[in-house]
Amino acid sequence: MRGLAPGLLALLAAAPGWAGEPFSFAGGWLRLGGEASGTISGPDRAYFNYTDYERSNLRLFRLNLDAEVKAGPHFAFVGEIRTDNLDSPRPYALYLRLHPWTNRSFDVQAGRIPPVFGSYARRRYAADNPLPGMPLAYQYLTTLRPDALPSSADELFSRQGGGWLVRYPIGDQTAAPGMPLVNAERWDVGVEVRVGSEPLELAAALTQGTLSHPRVKDDNDGKQVSARLGWRPVIGLALGVSGARGEYVAREARDALPPADRRPLRQHAAGFDAEYAAGYWILRAEAVWSGWDVPPLAGTANDRLDALGLMLEARYKVAPGFYLAGRADHLGFSHLETASRSSPWDAPVTRLEIGAGYSVLRNLLLKLAFQHNARESGRIRGRDFLAGQVVLWF
Amino acid sequence: MTRIVLAALLVGPLGSIRGRVEVRRELPPIEPRPAVASLGMEALREVPDRRRSVVYLATAPQGAFEGAERPRAVLNQRNQAFVPYVLAIRAGTAVDFPNRDRTYHNVFSFSKAKRFDLGRYAGGLSKAVSFDEPGVVRVFCEIHSHMSAFILVFAHRYFATTDAEGRYRIDDVPPGTYTVVAWNDGEARETRTVRVPEGGGPVELDFVID
Repeated sequence: MRGLAPGLLALLAAAPGWAGEPFSFAGGWLRLGGEASGTISGPDRAYFNYTDYERSNLRLFRLNLDAEVKAGPHFAFVGEIRTDNLDSPRPYALYLRLHPWTNRSFDVQAGRIPPVFGSYARRRYAADNPLPGMPLAYQYLTTLRPDALPSSADELFSRQGGGWLVRYPIGDQTAAPGMPLVNAERWDVGVEVRVGSEPLELAAALTQGTLSHPRVKDDNDGKQVSARLGWRPVIGLALGVSGARGEYVAREARDALPPADRRPLRQHAAGFDAEYAAGYWILRAEAVWSGWDVPPLAGTANDRLDALGLMLEARYKVAPGFYLAGRADHLGFSHLETASRSSPWDAPVTRLEIGAGYSVLRNLLLKLAFQHNARESGRIRGRDFLAGQVVLWF
Repeated sequence: MTRIVLAALLVGPLGSIRGRVEVRRELPPIEPRPAVASLGMEALREVPDRRRSVVYLATAPQGAFEGAERPRAVLNQRNQAFVPYVLAIRAGTAVDFPNRDRTYHNVFSFSKAKRFDLGRYAGGLSKAVSFDEPGVVRVFCEIHSHMSAFILVFAHRYFATTDAEGRYRIDDVPPGTYTVVAWNDGEARETRTVRVPEGGGPVELDFVID
């Protein structure tokens, strides 16, 4: 695999006359596409860009292979296999798409499905993201875990800014990464329905896990309900409001609580997303609020931990194939009140990323960006990165 | 018209080259990338006719490069497809790109002969580009990955695009021996030599592209 991938990609990029069209068989019934992206930057010893303990989003080679099998106008089978840094391939998406009526905007999808919540998580391809980095709400690891729980406010205070590897006394006591507000690296398993198209579209899903902790197999007998209402008042403007609610704590961690404290611990989330595009501009804004129920914490009366991610993004094409982009991003956390302290339960983070992209070919994109990160507490308070990314899609 | 009359007076009766291009090779429709992140089935779209070919003279006769007119041509964006799929024009032609859909399109090309990007614009609007350099220009839509078309820009006027039956006709060709090329879907597929007699008249020339 390691030796084969670079050779295959070089061959694809050099193929004469090929402009990134997906490979199509049996009259278009089977389509194969994919994307390879390589991102390089300096070491991230403060774990600002990690999506789990071992993987930085800015030091990553990713290979996606996508397939869509259409069995007539009503059925399709969709899948994606992904490998990061050429590790073992894993299914990222795998679901059945059902379109019962050809003349009605009504679809059902079941399996490992794209999330309905928000907007960014469905910007699947690296080429859809103008910068190498990801929005904080969809990537940054908070200090909350689904399989281990804190017992006191002081434990949370002492772990501020350490979400890349965190340990708690209740549940699994080994150190492991925390959760982002919305996990864009894994999709949940369940069933979703989309009704309507333009100008109004409603999508709703019932899934095994939650936004921050998608699951293939249920681990707590709870399900998540999520929905998004999209509205396109005029061409070029898309607005969306989202909501989600589901149990995020694993059964083992919940059972480790004293019997009196064993209640469903849920993640609640709400989101707003907006996109405006015209001419050479694309402007995007997204807000994600998440609240996680927690068991009684010694030292405080708080029983829910909140976080709010805000993101503004702009892309402007200055010449054919050449664009400039920027993103301003902030992740804030609610305060925990104790007798001696009032402080956010995790360290607020601000990220500014500016960069440029140049398309060598239609399907070969180079990105270069500068990313500034600032954290209000924790062992390392700030880190800047110069990152480069190559994206080849087909 | 004046130019043709003058040419006829100078070189004698003009001829024409006509015939049929039969495309036997399999040309499946260009498909969009698998819609993995979509929440439902993609909208139906128009399938472009990839069998349309262009027949042209590789070496044009003297006087073929003259002409001061600035013609216009149209390449539509309709039902998520460029129509026509192949457009043959003479250098200096301005091509209009009307958006006839209810969604945004973003026409662009990174071809050596013409690099441009029209940005996103809504249905009912149109933008134009002048093509001044001969060459092959591959046109795409940034938003819809399956939308593509070819614009062939010629320095001379001796070219023709095939119709739905594959027929073509190049008129007003002065007598002489010419290399004729049949181009299809991105490549010059077949080259033939033909002689237009001194007395003018039509010359039949068919191509088969396997």
